[in-house]
Amino acid sequence: MRKGSIAFSLFWLSAGWLILALAGTAFLLTDLYSRALDGNLTNQLKFNIDALSSAVLDSSDPTFADVSVQDPRFSRASTGWYWVIRSDSGDPIATSPSAVGSVVPALSGDFDADNYRSAVLKDDAGNNIRAIERSTTNNGRPLRITVIGNLDDSLALVGQFRGQTLIVLGAVGIALAIMSGIVARLALRPIGRLGRAIEQVREGDAQTITGDYPREIAPLAEEVNELLRSNTQIIERARNQVGNLAHGLKTPIAVLRNEASAAKDNPLSRVVTSESDKMQQLVTTYLDKARIAARSTVVGKKADATMVMLRLVRVMQKLNQKVTIAFKRPDASIPWFRGDEGDLEEMAGNLLDNACKWSKGQIGVTMTSERTPSANFLVIRIEDDGPGLTEEEAKKVLRRGVRLDEKTPGSGLGLDIVKELVDVYGGSLQLKRSVLGGVLAELRLPAARVGLVRS
Amino acid sequence: MRILVIEDDTNLNRQIKDALTEGGYAVDVAFDGEEGHFLGDTEPYDAVVLDIGLPQMDGLSVLEEWRRAGKSMPVLLLTARDRWSDKVQGIDAGADDYLAKPFHMEELLARLRALVRRAAGHASNEITAGPVRLDVKAGKVTVDGQAIKLTSHELRLLSYLMHHKGKVVSRTELTEHLYDQDFDRDSNTIEVFVGRLRKKLPEEVIHTVRGLGYQILED
Repeated sequence: MRKGSIAFSLFWLSAGWLILALAGTAFLLTDLYSRALDGNLTNQLKFNIDALSSAVLDSSDPTFADVSVQDPRFSRASTGWYWVIRSDSGDPIATSPSAVGSVVPALSGDFDADNYRSAVLKDDAGNNIRAIERSTTNNGRPLRITVIGNLDDSLALVGQFRGQTLIVLGAVGIALAIMSGIVARLALRPIGRLGRAIEQVREGDAQTITGDYPREIAPLAEEVNELLRSNTQIIERARNQVGNLAHGLKTPIAVLRNEASAAKDNPLSRVVTSESDKMQQLVTTYLDKARIAARSTVVGKKADATMVMLRLVRVMQKLNQKVTIAFKRPDASIPWFRGDEGDLEEMAGNLLDNACKWSKGQIGVTMTSERTPSANFLVIRIEDDGPGLTEEEAKKVLRRGVRLDEKTPGSGLGLDIVKELVDVYGGSLQLKRSVLGGVLAELRLPAARVGLVRS
Repeated sequence: MRILVIEDDTNLNRQIKDALTEGGYAVDVAFDGEEGHFLGDTEPYDAVVLDIGLPQMDGLSVLEEWRRAGKSMPVLLLTARDRWSDKVQGIDAGADDYLAKPFHMEELLARLRALVRRAAGHASNEITAGPVRLDVKAGKVTVDGQAIKLTSHELRLLSYLMHHKGKVVSRTELTEHLYDQDFDRDSNTIEVFVGRLRKKLPEEVIHTVRGLGYQILED
């Protein structure tokens, strides 16, 4: 089951945090900036309150008609910059020229320890304004001096700042996202390497996983190697036990069978003969099955097919001195067999054995390689000058457990083993007519990916 | 012909011995590797039936030791392990043929006959010397096409001489190859059997080479 991708998870995890962090940063920066601007405005307004306070102190006019501040923004109408001096009851005594004709909103709330109070309001021209009011006394007469500044300029600046911040931080974010993507990819590269190493083992190009891996995945590589080793051991043990079982069972069966056939014809010997034959059949069939099942899990094996064929030809030549086995040794570029050496011996050996049984004196063995778009094959052809098979006979022989001539020695299971093994390895076996006159057995087997150069 | 059978299963050992004896061979038996190795090393055998799985010393080691010591008698390996790798191993250890258990006794006999014949340099199951024709497989002897009756001892004697025709065979060699270990070896018995055999065969088939032994001439 595939469950997402580590690279993607890593990327989204880091990118998600990045987006949150950058958004937070943008918010914080803007907030700090707007506070700084607001603080600056407040200072300006307080400065003007101080100026007004001293002007009020200096003024002799109870209506403070001579009071003014220098800042020209307080002189133009509807700028959002106003000042107003109110009596304790809230009636305006004097206002800035900018406030003439408009109602300056009044503040509410408590004065702080320095006798100030502050608020953000809206004037009747629609400007956002910051108002600061100070409570004071003039010759025992309580006064409230209010100075108002336009906030919209500051807000515009904040807006501008926010826009720029977002652009800059967005760019930073994109750069970081690209980087984290690259980092995820780099970090996962050893996993890809490990994958390829395992594939090589499966392809039979390597026995174990080799190469240096980072600390995090080195244990994985070691575990896989350990698994391969224990797998091999288990198979080895299974094979040994199968061999022991075979040895243990076959001798008693042989004894029973011989005893019965020596006793000539009586009911007991007939029963023992037929039953021991059945036992023998079962033992052979199931031992072969067990062996095939044990070997189908073998990974990472390959065998030098030329060496195997040389060995088999040598042995069969010694056992069958009446026939001449011509083996045309292929050049070193012939690929290796992808699988167990013993299995190749089993397949080619049984075919060679059949050829020897039927041959009148001549056997030919050749090896070639075959390339298809999907796979490479090793083709072993074994042909004899025996009586040969018709197409129908060939079909029949390739069915399970069929023997054409019961007199020719052998259990008749030879071809079954070959067929089963061929299936295990995904190869094919064809029986054709040979130019020598007999059977041409064509064994097509998967080749190891790289044909190693023989030393 | 004297055969050594090394097989640890007592029943199978007995069966092989019986079948071989019936087939006209002198048979010695051993039940473990060490005993078998000793016998093969010290006694002259015309062939050996050797099981691979043996106590004390396994069959392949026995075989390798013999071959290293220059013993060249034909050896038929007997085994339950019938993988090709086992076969290759056995042949490379010096075996001449290979028989997987369980086997038919006839096949064992046929293969053994072929081994003995091959070792003596004969290509077919029939060996002839002048008018005498020996069918090794059937154990029948004909003279000019007429079957003659021989006792098993006479047949063994003739068979050995015919397998080694052209060669002078001493009385000792005959005793060693015609009788098993336990036989009471009296050299006079050979002379008695040669005398009886000569009466049933045409003159001049079996020559006496004075002081050396007997000989059947090449055609």
